[in-house]
Amino acid sequence: MKIKGYNGIILDVNLTTGKISKIALSEEYIVNFLGGRGLGAKFLYDEVKAGTDPLGEENILMFMAGPLSGYPVPSASRLTVITKSPHTSPVNKKYKHSSTLSYSSVGGFFAPEIKFAGYDGIIIRGKSPFPVYLYIKNDKVEIRDARKFWGMGTNEFDKRIKEELDDKKFQVIYIGPAGENLVEYASILHTASRAAGRGGVGAVMGSKKLKAIAIRGTNLPPVDDIVKYNKLLEKYRKIFKNSNRTLNWRLNGTAGALVSSSRRGSQAVKNYREGTFKDIDKIGAEAARKQYWVKNYACYTCMLSCKKSGVIKDGPYAGISHDGPEYETGTMLGANLLVSDLAGLLKEIFDADDYGVDAIAIGNTIGFLMEAYEKKLIDIKFLDGIDLKWGDVDAILKMMKKIINREGVGMYASRGVKFLSEKIGQGSSDFAIHVKGHELAAWNVHVNPWTGISYATSNRGACHLNGGNPKSQDRGALLDSLGICRFAFFGYKNDGLREFVNAITGIDYTSEDFRKVGERIYNLEKMFNVREGFDIKDDVLPERFFKEPLSYGPGKGKVLTKEKFYGKMLHKYYLDRGWDPKTSIPTKSKLKELGLV
Amino acid sequence: MVSLSFGKDGTYSMIIVEYNKCAGCRTCETVCSAANHKIKIGGVDYPGLGNPNLSNIRVYSYNPDTFVPNVCQFCEDSPCVNACPSPIDKKTGKKALSKDEVLGNIVYNPSVCMHCGNCARACKEKSAGVIIFDEQERRPTGMCTLCGGDPQCVKYCPYGALHFVKGKVKRKFYKMKPDKIAEILAREWYKGKGGKVQ
Ligand code: SF4
Ligand code: SF4
Repeated sequence: MKIKGYNGIILDVNLTTGKISKIALSEEYIVNFLGGRGLGAKFLYDEVKAGTDPLGEENILMFMAGPLSGYPVPSASRLTVITKSPHTSPVNKKYKHSSTLSYSSVGGFFAPEIKFAGYDGIIIRGKSPFPVYLYIKNDKVEIRDARKFWGMGTNEFDKRIKEELDDKKFQVIYIGPAGENLVEYASILHTASRAAGRGGVGAVMGSKKLKAIAIRGTNLPPVDDIVKYNKLLEKYRKIFKNSNRTLNWRLNGTAGALVSSSRRGSQAVKNYREGTFKDIDKIGAEAARKQYWVKNYACYTCMLSCKKSGVIKDGPYAGISHDGPEYETGTMLGANLLVSDLAGLLKEIFDADDYGVDAIAIGNTIGFLMEAYEKKLIDIKFLDGIDLKWGDVDAILKMMKKIINREGVGMYASRGVKFLSEKIGQGSSDFAIHVKGHELAAWNVHVNPWTGISYATSNRGACHLNGGNPKSQDRGALLDSLGICRFAFFGYKNDGLREFVNAITGIDYTSEDFRKVGERIYNLEKMFNVREGFDIKDDVLPERFFKEPLSYGPGKGKVLTKEKFYGKMLHKYYLDRGWDPKTSIPTKSKLKELGLV
Repeated sequence: MVSLSFGKDGTYSMIIVEYNKCAGCRTCETVCSAANHKIKIGGVDYPGLGNPNLSNIRVYSYNPDTFVPNVCQFCEDSPCVNACPSPIDKKTGKKALSKDEVLGNIVYNPSVCMHCGNCARACKEKSAGVIIFDEQERRPTGMCTLCGGDPQCVKYCPYGALHFVKGKVKRKFYKMKPDKIAEILAREWYKGKGGKVQ
């Protein structure tokens, strides 16, 4: 291969047949899709036919590194997991199993290790007849029995698997009971505290009976221009070292936004009914620093260390150590449920990660049930006797357990708010806060309607990391394909990343070519969804945001209007995209321009 | 560069880890690797790629989040050198492993190495297990060079967790294995009321 910075090999494992093969990565794919989310979208589009059952043998599950992965480029730590989502669905189902694609990103050390082991990504196909884990040490790849680990929470598994492996430097990624039980929004965990949380990637892994992948490698492919590469490393290390934003990440991580977002009225509070949580100071960064946090920790060669670990010192959960609260976990399991007890919130976060479930989706789902219960649309019998009141940590923990085990009400709740609202009826879909079946995240939309555009138009269903205009969406897709963390973008900007990619790979991207990779990926993902039957009817927000203005706080009175949101903003979005504003489908000429037809 | 001299009381220069500051980012591994495995282009040496597997300092990560960079302990009694059975190299007058007279780091001389792995075993038994015998290359790895007096790991650690010191320092975790250090630290850091650790 002429292109440097890649191993040029995708590891392909079929769990039905046990066949393990290596597929050569074509240069054309690399130039057009780079890696990570991009390459994943390409493989998914090519290999997973429309209507495929996401939890069936035909779906594939991919773990993709990017061109920057493995090199000590600050914050190049991200892995993207790509698959067809078991959790999303269109308004009108063209196929029984119509759903979007999903991509979910996780930091840590797994993507670099894929590179060290001699690959650029891993594709899992088929289904094993019994629980297994995949063992990879450079060239040596084995499918190993994992029956004794099945049912184990991620925190314990993280410790136990390391005892079993012959080398402490293995990196492991795994599911918990939620994924095993096929909870639709199960996550995949790494280091017991980092999650590829969204879109139900953990359920797909569970459907394949794959408990974990353990990987260890020792090599790193050469780069194209080592002189330039070293200069860039020097330059960007300095930029991060001297930036105030670096200090802020270290001080607060994303938890800083808990208080600032609430003050702006942009937080998901009480199932998105409000934008401000009166008790936010009790669960914000300052409170966590005083009562919980022990230390900062970082992903591979990251200078920001946004993660904070701590220990609950007092009360019934004393001695539990974990990370958080982050903005998403602290909002979805805290503010959104009116939880103001920090220790209780931390226990919820610990449980969510231990079960291996998306904290966003489960927090959103429980918020929906709380509201339906308060409004007497469901009774305590429906909830299996759980008195699910706002702010009640005990009740929340009980409900989480029901969901993970999919028993009683958990059977329905494990399928998310869209399913629940269809089951409950009585107008509850107005406050079922999802897009395409995917639960919204912790940023509320009343005070910032562009966040609504972001949710309405993201390819994996409601996504907070998407951005409300084509430019930021395409950039997001690009970053997710390089293996770099979005939080570090401020240090690089497009040009810094492009310079790194050029020095490492030897591909001579112009700014325009580079930008276009992101646009190409975004359009290809969209086409995957179009093929599944999604169209403009699916790019909608829940009615709540148009009917119920915020009732207090800085955003008091704010509400969206359909005329402005759909008629102006969304319409403009489609036009900017080069998509047909009547159907939301990319035009032929746009696809042609991007080389997608 | 810092000027150094042989400690009169038998102490040497060394790397000290301030564990509570370590964020586990492994930058130290990559800069150590780059500095000690240079790439030559047109007769000029450039820092290498930074493959962490070639590093002399190795960071071990634990749950709950505790990180232990493991680096040469600059042992006063040099168990690795003592265990080395190699003949004396006529050119240098030294065995395959010897202690540098200025910096005090362990110097490796492959020309007289017996490829026996005694050094790694001694380091594991009597110290922190920093020297690892590479079975493929049949040679010991992990001996800190102190980068000729300008330790790159110390210079680039983004979190100020590594220090370069001279003289006698009391080291709480001297010669202790990473697992043991992590256990002690986790008990210190992550305990709830009544000393409950999960
Ligand atoms: S560079 Fe510093 S913070 Fe990072 S792992 Fe090494 S010692 Fe720890
Ligand atoms: S001083 Fe140099 S050789 Fe020793 S551990 Fe640090 S970077 Fe590696």
